[in-house]
Amino acid sequence: MTSFGPAPSPAEPPTASPAPTSPWPEPAGVSPTPADAWPEQPTSAPAPAGPWVEPAGASPVPPGGSATAGKPQAAAGEQPGAEPRQRLHPLSPLLKGAKSIVVIVAALSWQTLGQVGATDFVLIVLALAVAVVIFSGIGWWNTGYHVVGRELRITEGLIWRRNRAIPLDRLQAVEVRRPLLAQLTGLAELRLEVVGGGKTEAPLAYLTVQNAGALRERLLSLSGQAGTTAATAPGSPVTEPLPLYRVRNTDLLVSQLLTPQAFFLPFGVAWVITQFVMEGSWTFIGIASTMTAMAGVILQPVRRVLRDWNFRLIRGDRLVLHYGLLETRSQVVPPHRVQAVRVTWPFLWRAKRWLHLSLDVAGLSRPEAGDDKSSDRLMPVGDPAAARALVAAALPGVDLAVLATSPPPRRARWLHPIGLRFHGAGLTAEVFVSRSGRVTREMTLVPYARVQSVRVVQGPLQRRFGLATVYADTAGGRAGAARDRDLAEAYALADELATRARQARTAPASPAVGPPTPVTPAAVIPTSMDPAPVNPAVITPSAVPPVVSPPVVDPQGFTPLAGPPHSAHPTSGRPDSAHPTSGQPGSAHPGPGAPGSTEPIDETFWQRPSQP
Amino acid sequence: MWRPVSSRLFLVHLIGIATWTVVLLAGLITGLVLTSSSSLWWLLGMAAALVLAVWRTVIAARAVRAWGYAERDNDLLVRHGLLVRHLSIVPYARMQYVDVTAGPLERAFGLATVQLHTAAAASEARVPGLPPAEASRLRDRLTALGEDRAEGL
Repeated sequence: MTSFGPAPSPAEPPTASPAPTSPWPEPAGVSPTPADAWPEQPTSAPAPAGPWVEPAGASPVPPGGSATAGKPQAAAGEQPGAEPRQRLHPLSPLLKGAKSIVVIVAALSWQTLGQVGATDFVLIVLALAVAVVIFSGIGWWNTGYHVVGRELRITEGLIWRRNRAIPLDRLQAVEVRRPLLAQLTGLAELRLEVVGGGKTEAPLAYLTVQNAGALRERLLSLSGQAGTTAATAPGSPVTEPLPLYRVRNTDLLVSQLLTPQAFFLPFGVAWVITQFVMEGSWTFIGIASTMTAMAGVILQPVRRVLRDWNFRLIRGDRLVLHYGLLETRSQVVPPHRVQAVRVTWPFLWRAKRWLHLSLDVAGLSRPEAGDDKSSDRLMPVGDPAAARALVAAALPGVDLAVLATSPPPRRARWLHPIGLRFHGAGLTAEVFVSRSGRVTREMTLVPYARVQSVRVVQGPLQRRFGLATVYADTAGGRAGAARDRDLAEAYALADELATRARQARTAPASPAVGPPTPVTPAAVIPTSMDPAPVNPAVITPSAVPPVVSPPVVDPQGFTPLAGPPHSAHPTSGRPDSAHPTSGQPGSAHPGPGAPGSTEPIDETFWQRPSQP
Repeated sequence: MWRPVSSRLFLVHLIGIATWTVVLLAGLITGLVLTSSSSLWWLLGMAAALVLAVWRTVIAARAVRAWGYAERDNDLLVRHGLLVRHLSIVPYARMQYVDVTAGPLERAFGLATVQLHTAAAASEARVPGLPPAEASRLRDRLTALGEDRAEGL
């Protein structure tokens, strides 16, 4: 939510912050990072290196400071002719053409080479390459961008002209990508993530690195919302701005060796070899196809290693992530754009106690559209301490170590014969926590302020047991899901989620720079969602009295059938849960009394829940 | 507090079921006429189609009654479903846009569907079977409230 240092002063070098308490392996080496190809402007004030006319009043305003940050710029930007339209870098048609040439050669294939001969083949490729470059050149000539007020306008196209205006207050994240060729030529691609676009909107390819960094900084400072840098959460030491987090490359390698693909590769190789030895036939086709299959299997971990190489995160005013070997990416995510954080603990990483964190930002998260393309890593690999600090960086005020969840009622074991204890949900002061998975354990953290809608879904089997699932939908791809809760508890949970989401939405907006008072009432709310039948006294003390009388969300009418006895009961808003077992599971898991309490460690994510 | 949807929605469903059953029966009858052998199976199929139609009618009647929506101060509640029951709580502040649609059958019975879209693809806030006046009233109220409390993301 909205709690950073009271005066984050982004120009301040991160080393100045009290680093010694942070659990990072190498907190030193923050500021210079000599081998760093990136100009580290993201944490500094807007660099005036750009060739555009720097509007007056841009640099003294801290980026994202308040509503006033946009105004002088908007005024300056709206002056006619204040900003001429910029073109992309002149080399970009060549780079784009190079990309297409690879595709062309692949399309022509070896067969064509055999048919037409080498010289003709080269000539064809050359002719096509020239055509492609000319075509890209025309596109480059007609492509331009400029900032008008709080909009980025991009013009492109010769025949079908497209003039696109991107309102910058809708900007979700900005990424600077540098593929291999762009790294060799000192260029970069700027990608803006906007909600609603099926793909990345307006990749500006290519700019010089300086221009890209400066433009990104400018766009982000223009997109800064009022009240995003409100106040710090009182008394939580984990919300200090992180100087830097760096994933050791050896860890990354080992972690990718511990994926199923890499782990079972030796067995596969051994099996194939024994097959060959048994049959005694070493045909070329057989070996080649085996090698291809192997390559396909092994490629994914290799790609992940290349992609996440040299991963480092800078937490200044925003999250800044750098990673990549062949294609470096540098991503800036304002913390209020984080829709959800997912913590994953793969089975094979348990010995190392390693976790994976992924970040959900609206617009870019397409979990199904290829894992390698999306830039959703918050931490490719790391130990719990690192994960704790990173979660605190992405979701200020959230401490991963004390996120308590309560399991579903005992009778849900008929639906989850194995590992019912690993399912759970909980309401903490800042986020809705839900976890699942016996083998690969997962935990989803959804900040209340990001909840878009709440759903209660009850399938036929669940109805037999008087259970229901509560979803907290976000604009990202992932939804928090409290599976198989007691029906009454599910309704109360949904109501509570809606209430807290509303409070979280309205709280930061009203006092933009005010003291943290609006945030504190949320912290007073009991953190644990009592797995016992819902006691209205637990629900109601939330700071704002519920506008709605609870019975509105009641199952009355929602269960028009004469169903099983426990679902046919809802005579009041809080059915007194006629089910006899529903009261029991809470006994083994006393929730934490207050957000600061550290006792429910045994209920945290990476530890084995105690036997109920 | 819960408002039901119009019971004429049941007629829309009924016509759909009837059309479907008629097509199925026609297919079965042509099969019976053309093959003219082992007619028992064709008759059994027809009986099954009729039973299915009756069963779907019963389900449809109850499913229409299962739809409901409630406008609270800050959010819209929609519930529906018999086999799988859904309850959605969608805050007005999260509204991105509102759709009002009416298909030909719905129009013939004077009905419309209002759908509230949020930035989350998973949100489902769709209310079918509203009389046009109620649909436009709901739409106007949703947009007015959404403008008041706009906080899209």
